[in-house]
Amino acid sequence: MTAGWPTADPDPVRRLHALAAGVRNAHVTEGVVDAPVDVVWPLIADLEGEFGRIVTDMARVRVISRDGDRLEASAHSRFGPRARFSGVLRPGWCWLQSRFLLIGVAAADHGDGRTTVAFTGGLRVPGRAALVPLGVRAEGRRNLARLAARTAARS
Amino acid sequence: MAEPDPPADHPPADDEYAAGESAAADRRATARLVRAAQRGDTLAMNDLLDELAPFVGRICAPIALDDGPDAAQEALMIVFRGLRGLKEPAAVYGWVRTVAAREAVRVAKRAARAVPAELAELPAPGDPQLGADIRDVLTRLSPEHRAVLVLRDLEGLDERTAAERLGLRVGTVKSRLHRARDTFRKAWSA
Repeated sequence: MTAGWPTADPDPVRRLHALAAGVRNAHVTEGVVDAPVDVVWPLIADLEGEFGRIVTDMARVRVISRDGDRLEASAHSRFGPRARFSGVLRPGWCWLQSRFLLIGVAAADHGDGRTTVAFTGGLRVPGRAALVPLGVRAEGRRNLARLAARTAARS
Repeated sequence: MAEPDPPADHPPADDEYAAGESAAADRRATARLVRAAQRGDTLAMNDLLDELAPFVGRICAPIALDDGPDAAQEALMIVFRGLRGLKEPAAVYGWVRTVAAREAVRVAKRAARAVPAELAELPAPGDPQLGADIRDVLTRLSPEHRAVLVLRDLEGLDERTAAERLGLRVGTVKSRLHRARDTFRKAWSA
């Protein structure tokens, strides 16, 4: 019935904007990194390595289990002690939540050999789809700058 | 005492039962996701997004055409902002369908890129020309008429319901539809 009809599946960056709209006080920082997505994304997907150097809200990440694109991890947070995270990691998409922290990262091909990347997240109001409105914009900008620097260092 | 249901001429085959049960189970699973998302579980929100994004894309693209991705993003933002206020989780698809169609019309009009030509009318359901080149037909319609067409042909709503969901005057839509058949065929046979 739908054959021949145009479709539009929103890319990961667009999806991140949509999901963040449902999280009170969340801000999406979006920018373009000067490298293709297949160079940029492995840095984010390296949860136990590069990820903690880019998203410094989470440090010493340890993946506990994986099931398809689902994962459980533990990490130290700059906001407190080691916490357990649950989430999803797949190409172009990372969404991780603990009781006190929320991290979302998305990447999509910019179409010219560069990559559009978007970050959201921050200190979570425990158990709620809401963030404490402190530093959510600045942290996103810093994450993006660190990702650009780490990508340049790899190129 | 109520009369019993009349016997069915052809009792559903096992696979029809299975399909019905499967659809009901899907609806229950979606309603559970909505409730978890409403309670603040952002992973449930993530899963709900995975489920709704292709659905919203299918509604928005034929209405907003090249601006389909913008419309889908903006519709999904409205959905997730408003999710907490949804009183009946089982009705999520009906609500999302309306939000997506309305948002796609708004985005298409804002873009003001698609100027409808003479064909401001809808082809009849099942018209073979519609199947021949859907995109060409869509570009000849106004955003509102594309929306009625999508809700009717893709989503199975009748034209009155589709017009009501879109906030259009039912009389206007129906009168245009009445004249549409000949206009559409003439345009294609010219």
